[in-house]
Amino acid sequence: MATVEERVKAVTGKVLGLDPEAIRAENNFTEDLGAESVQSIELVAMFEEEFGIEMDEDAALSVTTVGDAVKFIAKVCKQQGVDVEE
Amino acid sequence: MRLILVDRSETQRRQFWPLTLSRPIWDLRCGMTSLAEKLQAKTGISDVAYFVPDYMAEAYRERTDRPVNQMSALTGQDVLILDARVKADSLDVSATGRSEVGVDEQGDVLYARIGTSDGKKLKGSDIDALLASAKAGLPNVRCTLLTWQYTWDLMLASPHQIIADFAAAGRQGIEGTIEKPSALRGSKKDVYVAPGVTIHPMVVIDAEHGPVYIDEGAEIHPFTRIEGPCFIGKKSILLGTKCREGNSIGPYCRIGGEVEESVIQGFSNKYHDGFLGHAYVGEWVNLGALTTNSDLKNDYSTVSVMLDGKHSIDTGSTKVGSLIGDHTKTSIGVLFNTGSVIGAMAIIMSTGKPLPKFIPSFAWFIEGVVTKGFGRKTLYGTAHTAMGRRKQKWTPAQEAMWDQIFEMTAEPRDEAVKKGRRAMMK
Repeated sequence: MATVEERVKAVTGKVLGLDPEAIRAENNFTEDLGAESVQSIELVAMFEEEFGIEMDEDAALSVTTVGDAVKFIAKVCKQQGVDVEE
Repeated sequence: MRLILVDRSETQRRQFWPLTLSRPIWDLRCGMTSLAEKLQAKTGISDVAYFVPDYMAEAYRERTDRPVNQMSALTGQDVLILDARVKADSLDVSATGRSEVGVDEQGDVLYARIGTSDGKKLKGSDIDALLASAKAGLPNVRCTLLTWQYTWDLMLASPHQIIADFAAAGRQGIEGTIEKPSALRGSKKDVYVAPGVTIHPMVVIDAEHGPVYIDEGAEIHPFTRIEGPCFIGKKSILLGTKCREGNSIGPYCRIGGEVEESVIQGFSNKYHDGFLGHAYVGEWVNLGALTTNSDLKNDYSTVSVMLDGKHSIDTGSTKVGSLIGDHTKTSIGVLFNTGSVIGAMAIIMSTGKPLPKFIPSFAWFIEGVVTKGFGRKTLYGTAHTAMGRRKQKWTPAQEAMWDQIFEMTAEPRDEAVKKGRRAMMK
C-alpha cells in the first residue's frame, strides 16, 4: 500500500495538474503549487474520497503545505479508524 | 383580547422553504406588509404573541419585544389563536363570541377563540398540546378560511396586494424630495413619496397601472423607471433600475438591473444589471453582476418547482422565477432556471449555463457541482461582516439557529455533495 505522503502527492498532482514526483513536503499549496481557492476546495474533497474520511473544512483549509496535509490526514485517519501506511 | 400566531408544523413550513428556514411564515411579505401585519390589521388586535419552532425561538426573541413561545401569554385574557397560513382577506372570525375551534378539511386547527374561563380548563405543556386539548374540548367549527400554501403564492399575489395595501395605508402625495427633471405618469393620488426620500433627476414614476409607494429614506438614482404597483421599503436604494410592475422591495436593499413582480424581503443587494423576475428573495442575499433568472418557459407551460430537490410541484403558474434563501450569494453571471430553489447560506458560482433547479442550503456550488466548500464557519463570518455593514448584529442565538438549520437541511446537501464528488472523480 502506498504511504499517506505518496497518496497525498498523487491526489495533489491530479487536481493541480502536476507531476507527483516533483511535489515536495515543504511545498505550499498556493504559493508553490499554484492552487487557487476553488482548487483548495477540490483538494479537500478529493483527499476525503481518497482516504474515506471526513475532514472539518476550517481545519483542513488552514493546512498550507503538503507535509502538513500528510500529518493532518494521518491524524484524521487515526481518529476515524482508517488504516493507512505512514 | 390577545392575538396568538402559531407556526409550528414542519410539514407546512417546508412548503415555504427556504424562506422560512430562518423566520416564521407570518414574517413573509405580500404586497407592502407582512402576513402578520395583515392579520393584526384584519383582527384589529394589537396585542400579539408568537409560537415558532423551538429551534428559532431564541433568535426570534431578538427580533421582537412580544412574547415568543411563552405559555403564560395564553392565560389571563381571551385569546384568538391563528394558524400563520391564514389569509387575512378571508378571515371572517369575530374576535368576540363563544369559545370554539375552526378546523379545516384535513383536521388542522386554523383558529381557536378561547375565552379566559374556558382557557383555564384546557391542558397542555406546549402550544401544540394546548391546541389538541382545545380541539377535543371545545366546539369544533368546520371552517373554510383560505390559507397560503407556498411561497410563490405570496409572490404571485403581491402585485394586487400592493394595490390593496396602498389604499389601506391611506397615504398619497410627495413628502420627500423629487429633483428635476423627473416625470410622474398617472395620477398623483396613486403615488406616495415618504419623508426623507430623495429622487434624483431623470427618474420616471409610472403610476398609470398601479400605485407606487416609496418609504422613508429611500433613494432613487437617475435613470430609474418605477412602474406601479410597486412598494419600495425604508432606506432602500434603486440604482438606475428598470423596476417593472409588481415589485415589493423590503428595507435596506440595493437594487439595480431589471426587476419584475418580485418580492425582496430586505437587506439584500442586486446592485448590477441582470434580470430578476417573479422571484422571492430572502434577507442578506447578494446577487452578483448579471445574475439572471428565467421566469417563463419557452413552451409557455406551467412552472414546476422542487422544494426538496426530488419532487416536482406544479405551481399552476406560467411565471415563476427563483426562490432564494437568506444569506445566499451569487457570483457574476449566474443563470437560474425557471422555478429554481436556491437554499439559504449558499455560495453560487457561475458555470455559463443555467444551473440545476435545486441547490441545497449551505452548498458551495463551484464549477458545476455542490461542494462543502470552505464550510459553514466561513459563511457565518461572511454573514457577520455583511450584517455589520448595515449596523445589524450576527448573534450567538442566530448562529445556534443556523447550526440547527444546517442539520435540518443536511440530507439533500449530502446527496448533492456525493454526486459532485462522483463528477469530480471522472
